[in-house]
Amino acid sequence: MRILLFFMVAIGLIWIGVLESAMSSVKSFNQHGNAEVLESQRSIHRILALGFVGGRVVSKIVSNDSHVASLNGNETSLGDNGHVAKNSE
Amino acid sequence: MLSAQACVQSLISNVLAKFGSTSQKLFLMFVLAGISYGATGLGAMLLMTLLANSQLGKDASSKHGISAHDSSRLGGLAIAIVILIYTLGFSLISPYTPGPARDEAFLYLWCAIFFCTALGFAEDVKPDFLTPSLRLAVKFLVMAALFGLAPKFIPSSVGISIIDSIITLPFLGWALVTVFAVGFINALNMADGANGLVPGIAVASFGVFFVEYGRPMDGALLFAFTIFLIFNVISGWYFLGDAGSYGLGAILLGYGLLGVAEGQFSAGFMAALFCYPCIDFLVSVIRRRRAGRSPFSADNGHLHNRLHQFIKLRIKSAVMANSFTGLIISGSTSGAVLIAYLMDVLPTESDLWYLFFVAEICLYLIALNYFTSIQPKTQYADPL
Repeated sequence: MRILLFFMVAIGLIWIGVLESAMSSVKSFNQHGNAEVLESQRSIHRILALGFVGGRVVSKIVSNDSHVASLNGNETSLGDNGHVAKNSE
Repeated sequence: MLSAQACVQSLISNVLAKFGSTSQKLFLMFVLAGISYGATGLGAMLLMTLLANSQLGKDASSKHGISAHDSSRLGGLAIAIVILIYTLGFSLISPYTPGPARDEAFLYLWCAIFFCTALGFAEDVKPDFLTPSLRLAVKFLVMAALFGLAPKFIPSSVGISIIDSIITLPFLGWALVTVFAVGFINALNMADGANGLVPGIAVASFGVFFVEYGRPMDGALLFAFTIFLIFNVISGWYFLGDAGSYGLGAILLGYGLLGVAEGQFSAGFMAALFCYPCIDFLVSVIRRRRAGRSPFSADNGHLHNRLHQFIKLRIKSAVMANSFTGLIISGSTSGAVLIAYLMDVLPTESDLWYLFFVAEICLYLIALNYFTSIQPKTQYADPL
């Protein structure tokens, strides 16, 4: 029973990182694909959820997609890395 | 000179002794996971710790390479769970569409990865459940189907004229790549004999793929393998197992071939990145044939066995001797390629990476010859 609880805690902790990286990604699209805005918002919250390496990994994913989004203007397009890049303009 | 060497040795021994007990190892593992990947890293580390302590897939120390402790072979399962949670969650919440959902070729690739992992998992849970020849036949079947259904994985040029002339022919190209693919997956499985060796190669490779492409899947793979590397190197309680090495082999193979086929990387770059498993596999097959044995029979004549024998006389901790062996080999091969790539030494599509590959082969042969000359024969091993 205790093992099950530990498994749930483990999955919950992983889920924190999933949520943080997914939210960063969604925020980035809503901010007109500007990755620099996202960079400036890096906070202690993000470091706690994703750590120093994980934070950089997510920044790279987001900035990569933002680049695709800004290249494609108003269109809803499929990014090179699998994101549906959406520009809100 | 001697006193300086003794001083360094005693310093290393003291540092290692401090992290000798189980609780201290756990503390160090969790701290490193927390610093590098935050709460997510702690969760992945906890998941791996729980799975490592389960009775399923337990392996006696005598059964696995140079390990001196009973360990778990479920490393592959733990990595698969972490990647699955991350990818599923990320695709549900963010606008990310996973590769298999948007590209048929990726769907076939991940089906092949799944079959290879399942094949290895059966072996991890119940050793000798399938005969070696049956496993080999299944791998051939899976790879042949992959390259038949998704020919975009077959490169049109590898920078060597003889191979290029064969690879462009429809049937011969498919057959050649299938044989290479099965050989590569077996090579990676054979090289998985020291802590941090194959996981180190995986981290360097996914580091390159992630920096080059920036795909979320590469990020998830880099994350899972980094946590596994920390766990594997510090504790020595966990191995990739057949599930992990077959699955990892199929992923690296697919990504590597696709990178070469699309012209993003040269074949020379991939050869340099995956040098150790390929060369160790070829040298081991030659060594065994010369000794009149089956090329796939196990022995202790690999470079990592020889290097470990050398290091363990100098480091008291059995786990650290094992981990240093793996890290030295993965760091001086794939790790060096990662550093050269990050420093932009050569363009990734340059054939000059073959020179790097040749240098690695020379280093391998010199090291193997040296260790063979100073060490007594290991079981079944013949000097080159």
